[in-house]
Amino acid sequence: MGADLPTDPGWDALARVAAGDTGAFTGLVETHQERLLRLCERLLGDPEEARDAAQEVFLKAFRKAGEVRPLGQVYTWLYRIAVNHCLNKLRRRKLVRFLRLETNPEEPGAPAFGLPDPPDTGPDPISALEARRRWQSTRKAIAKLPDNQRAVLILVRFEGLSYRQAAEVLGITEGAVESRLFRAMRRIAQEKDAPRVSRTEGKR
Amino acid sequence: MNRTMEVELELDLIRLLHGELPEERARELRARMERDPALAKEYLRLQESWEGLTLPPTAPVPPGFAQRIAARARTEQAVPTPGWVRIAAALALILGTAVGVGVGGSWAPADPVQEEEPSAVDGSLAESYLTTLEDLEP
Repeated sequence: MGADLPTDPGWDALARVAAGDTGAFTGLVETHQERLLRLCERLLGDPEEARDAAQEVFLKAFRKAGEVRPLGQVYTWLYRIAVNHCLNKLRRRKLVRFLRLETNPEEPGAPAFGLPDPPDTGPDPISALEARRRWQSTRKAIAKLPDNQRAVLILVRFEGLSYRQAAEVLGITEGAVESRLFRAMRRIAQEKDAPRVSRTEGKR
Repeated sequence: MNRTMEVELELDLIRLLHGELPEERARELRARMERDPALAKEYLRLQESWEGLTLPPTAPVPPGFAQRIAARARTEQAVPTPGWVRIAAALALILGTAVGVGVGGSWAPADPVQEEEPSAVDGSLAESYLTTLEDLEP
């Protein structure tokens, strides 16, 4: 979790994109496609939907290239567009489910996470099974989180962002990041039903 | 230890776990954990819970992904939709709706009460039929 550099040379590329240089735009997509696809898939829980979402995110960036103020890192700006886009998609999904009177065993509007896991390349079947079990449990835990807590958790835990970077992406304060993360972790701990050790008890 | 202090301490443990606690406070907290096994256990629990959150690797980037997006961007660039086109389209839609409502209103019957009741039997035919019956009477 490194600190941000004051400026990112990626803004120069973005300035060229704003001037109509589609070659620069291809370069920008190539630089950020992997992390953006990963983020969208983590948020939406579906690789196909993630591809569509990432495509829309890049096109939005293309359209907005001339309007953005070059502050911080280009990827945090792209992440912000991606998080907003994916959260809107999840809200729409939730609304559609509500209107169709559908029920989701996990949480309405939660990421789909319904596709089979990719094949394991682990050393032995037992560890592969264990990994699969943990993935499943993580997916369930994440699916049950409210959208804002889920976004923070994914940015910090799976994208390795610092609190400051996550705050920048989400347009909130670092304190709000901390608070959402704290609540998310408590909720996950409750879900797992892990026995909590009281610190006051331990002092007796 | 009161509830506020417990929450603050738990927050510090989470900050320590995420490498977000300032160095001096981190040192203090580590020293405190050495003295307090329950606190150390709580930290371990949080650590296990955090590190236990794992997801499978995501799908690889599809081949030609960037090129496809760039092609779409080029199409948008080649056929831009100027602002005036959007405004004109919106005006046309409003005007069309207004005209549609107006024309629809003028086609509606002026006074629905005066509308003739549909009759299964034509009046004139019935009349002539009765006339014929009267004629047959002696």
